[in-house]
Amino acid sequence: MEERVAVTGIGIVSPCGLKKETMWANLKKGKSFVDEITRFDASLYGSHIAGQVHDLDYYTHLPGRLIKKIDLFSHMALVASKQAIEDSKLDLEKIDKTRVGVFMGNALGGWLFAETELRDMYLEGREGISPYMASAWFAAAPQGQITIFYGFKGYSKTVVADKASSGLAIWYGAKVVKAGKNDYVLAGGMEAPITPYALLCANTSGTLSKNNASPKKAYKPYDLNRDGFVLAEGAGVVMLEKESQAKQRQALAYAFIKGIGFSSDGYHHMRYSNDYGMLSYAIEEAIKDAGWNKEDVDYICLDAEATVMGDYLEVQALKKVFGSSFNNIAMSAPKSMFGSMLGAQSVMDLIITIFSMKNNLVLPTINYEVRDPYCEFNCTPNKAMEREINKALIVSRGRGGINVVLAVEKE
Amino acid sequence: MSLKEEVIDQICNTLDVTKDELQEEISLYDSIGVDSTEIVELVVALGKHFGVKLETTEVTKNSTPLDIVGIISKKK
Repeated sequence: MEERVAVTGIGIVSPCGLKKETMWANLKKGKSFVDEITRFDASLYGSHIAGQVHDLDYYTHLPGRLIKKIDLFSHMALVASKQAIEDSKLDLEKIDKTRVGVFMGNALGGWLFAETELRDMYLEGREGISPYMASAWFAAAPQGQITIFYGFKGYSKTVVADKASSGLAIWYGAKVVKAGKNDYVLAGGMEAPITPYALLCANTSGTLSKNNASPKKAYKPYDLNRDGFVLAEGAGVVMLEKESQAKQRQALAYAFIKGIGFSSDGYHHMRYSNDYGMLSYAIEEAIKDAGWNKEDVDYICLDAEATVMGDYLEVQALKKVFGSSFNNIAMSAPKSMFGSMLGAQSVMDLIITIFSMKNNLVLPTINYEVRDPYCEFNCTPNKAMEREINKALIVSRGRGGINVVLAVEKE
Repeated sequence: MSLKEEVIDQICNTLDVTKDELQEEISLYDSIGVDSTEIVELVVALGKHFGVKLETTEVTKNSTPLDIVGIISKKK
């Protein structure tokens, strides 16, 4: 039997907690962590609500000398990495660091740092720019900072694929572990979109909710009155290694990355293809790659874009794949409680799914009030549901139809 | 404040290190593990503070605080 890739460590920085236990305890309550943006005056933006990370400075282990050189997204990734390493009980002094890699996903880059420096450049000229700008803003910066901080020298990569970024990063990391190129991989993603420029770009996508008057009610996937998703910032990192190695060093395996399906709509630079065929294809490929039957799937963590078309296409694609067994599978979008972390969303969904497996509890899709006849199914509305979960799919869709589906199993 | 004290103050403030970590006759690399981007930041900060034009070929990671004092005193 083919060797599986185990998840042996978890690290999380999110609007609903900066430790995995806190996050789970908060999400179980089924309440929203979306609020009006407080980092800067965003009142003139079409959408000025978000899931924001609070108290990072309290939880950080980084010296001020490093913090001033890096963007918020690297900072969050470093904090989540530390948690994942500690959680995996890996003794870094006893391993070959040339066999440890870092695979991260990110969509936007580090704009909080970049915007400040660009302003200084226009005000003071080229000498006004910090020398750290070059290494702070780009999407692969967190990967670099993690490898430098810990001295990891194994094969590493950063994936940029919008909301599917960390899903792909996890898969690449798992492939590298499975192929024996690295013994350990830290995989995940990070996103810091709550900055004046990044928020402006995200607003022009036309997919964000404008329900600023009721932040906690704004993100309502699959509801008739949905008007888009809500942004969130954060980072998630998991430690990956071969199952045999995890057993040998008596590490706890939370779950196993079993398969992936991916496809591109190849239709439009922003919109999804109207025929949802490529999303169905990715879902089927994930099931096939995992060696499962469709009936084996217990839970699906949904993409939940909360746009009229996005949700409709996702539900239709799932109905097409699962047919008569569609109604037997538990499905939900826990991200409705805190927002979409874009490039870090897939890993956040993976971590939540792992906790759901461990606790046999499906977290709810909150804010579901009015049934949409074109998008009708059981999305676990508003209240968590007990259900044994052994096999799960995690659906992620990037803009323009970058479809990534991870297959994960508990035992 | 002497020029030496002022230079050391500037190095500490710019690089976010303490005076105890710096050593007058030990290179910045050997004492605090300074990297190339920190050198760029330091050169710009010292240039602004002392009103002199410094180059990254003059102040390098192998410079000691005393070397830097010497370079600045010649230019002032």
